[in-house]
Amino acid sequence: MSALILISVLGVVLLYLGLFEKKSWLAPVGIIGLLGAIALFATGWNIDHALLGGMVVFDRFSTGFNIGMAAITILIFLFGKDYYAREQRHVAEQYALMLFSLVGGFLLSSYTNLLMLFIGIEVLSIPLYVLAGAKKQHLRSNEASFKYFILGSFSTAFLLMGIALLYGGAGSFDLAVIGRHIAETGGANALLNFGLFFTVSGLAFKMGAVPFHFWKPDVYQGAPTLVTTFMATVVLMAATAGFYRFIDITGMPPTLERTMVLLVLATLLVGNVIALRQTNFKRLMAYSSIAHSGFLLLALLTDHGQAAGHGTAVGHTLLYYTFTYSLATTGLFILFTIAKRAYNGAEHNGIFQGLWAAKPWLALCALAMFLSLAGIPLTAGFIAKYQVFLLAIGAGWLKVMGFGVLMALLGIYYYIMVVREVFVRPEQPVAFTVAPLNWVVVSVCAVGVLVLGVWPGLV
Amino acid sequence: MLYLFYLFAAISVIAALVVVAAKSPINSVIALVVCFLSIAAHYILLNAQFLAMVHVIVYTGAIIVLFLFVIMLLNLNSIVEERKPVIVRVLSVVTGGLFFLVLLAATRQGLGTPVPAGFDPGIGLVHRIGTALFTQFLLPFEVSSVLFLSAMAGAMMLAKKDGTENVNLPPSSEPDDSAA
Repeated sequence: MSALILISVLGVVLLYLGLFEKKSWLAPVGIIGLLGAIALFATGWNIDHALLGGMVVFDRFSTGFNIGMAAITILIFLFGKDYYAREQRHVAEQYALMLFSLVGGFLLSSYTNLLMLFIGIEVLSIPLYVLAGAKKQHLRSNEASFKYFILGSFSTAFLLMGIALLYGGAGSFDLAVIGRHIAETGGANALLNFGLFFTVSGLAFKMGAVPFHFWKPDVYQGAPTLVTTFMATVVLMAATAGFYRFIDITGMPPTLERTMVLLVLATLLVGNVIALRQTNFKRLMAYSSIAHSGFLLLALLTDHGQAAGHGTAVGHTLLYYTFTYSLATTGLFILFTIAKRAYNGAEHNGIFQGLWAAKPWLALCALAMFLSLAGIPLTAGFIAKYQVFLLAIGAGWLKVMGFGVLMALLGIYYYIMVVREVFVRPEQPVAFTVAPLNWVVVSVCAVGVLVLGVWPGLV
Repeated sequence: MLYLFYLFAAISVIAALVVVAAKSPINSVIALVVCFLSIAAHYILLNAQFLAMVHVIVYTGAIIVLFLFVIMLLNLNSIVEERKPVIVRVLSVVTGGLFFLVLLAATRQGLGTPVPAGFDPGIGLVHRIGTALFTQFLLPFEVSSVLFLSAMAGAMMLAKKDGTENVNLPPSSEPDDSAA
């Protein structure tokens, strides 16, 4: 709780620093604040639920997710030092908006009341609508912002409709009460069922699950790369955590189960198949993120609620999956920015050509991170997918799991296509300029992915 | 009390009819204000002070002012009578008629419903809502301030006119310039 307050105040402090034009202070102050927040989360996780009005709970799950999100944000801020080096305007606002969005993420991972879910989603999203349009002179950025805003508002309306229906069915916003009502009626109450359906739709939009994925490629492509990184990592973590909190309490009645199976199958299929044809790297990463949310949904599908004594394993898998995915994605987007500058702003997959010849270490890092996204053994991505499939087997979803394995194999193809570009030697050598800080962050991401792949117990 | 109800009901119905029938959009909007204010009066009669105030502030204050702005900016105060195709008119009559039927059915069912036992008529009073906001719902109430703060900062960021010195720099000075 004190960490939440700290981050909110930190955002205001950054806004003030922007007012006094202390641009070089922004990232260091933000990082110090985030480190403080991590410390506060680590020490204050067993705060009494009742003290917070029964609205949020800081248990192991939310503490893990909150620390993970804060750590990824620190990496992104380190990246921002170089990314915003030549940008003069509105840098402070962008850092502050990211922090405000992070507050929403913290709420999503720890809510126990649907009101907090709604406010959390809004606090997460509204800064993102602005951040997506941060490059005001660029049409694509404007398009991304507008599209995200309109579609996001619609999805929020769905979510709100679902929450209203759940309130109508259970007479309370409290998750525990709603879970009890669902268990009593055994999924036969139409009001609750419709409420579940609409709420899951709203949450699935935030995760970018098919058929709610249409915003993702355009927004990822149009938004500034740093913001895209933030969306692909922290926001996905927050959305996953929020989804888990909700699913965990419903106990998965049969109607919801059918919806979830359809979501999983559609997301895995569309995400992986369309990714095969992408030539723009940012769009490729968008479809890759859709595909990964399919695997996350598969893990969520196996959650039959706390009553089955099962939820903890799912929560742990989700944390491990999203955190390692975020590490790899952050590093790859930094490499993408480096390559994009070397190729004068081109965004196609071929801009990685010559990386091996110019910067062998960075090329190896890229290899590790791509392999992790693809799920090759010895990387964290493999362990993550393996855990998801184990959960699916344990819950008896053998056919769905088989489909997931097939799609994971398909996914290896498009990652390897980009990896091939990294090792292609171009006609004339390309000069990649790498800021020292970026080099450090990329190395941290790549080494982190490998270390977590070998010792998965560390998360 | 009952006479007050009939008075306000008559005002709102007449104002609603004027909204539809008025030739000039300005008159229409003014009638809409009257309609909203009389509905707010109904809320007060129902003991829902908070709802009445929010209604006045949001609808009569914000939304109507927006309507007026749009009308004035688009210079719509001259009478514009558009000829709609027959199919649209038929469809709108059908839609309106169906909606009327639904309302009629709902009212017929609803009029006879007794007030459920244990219903507290004072639930809409301002001090009750204030107590709930500052005890049970304190955390969401406080957190929504972060929401408004970020919306404000974001709106400032997007709406502020940037000086020209940034625009005249060569494109390579942009941190990552889109080629498309």
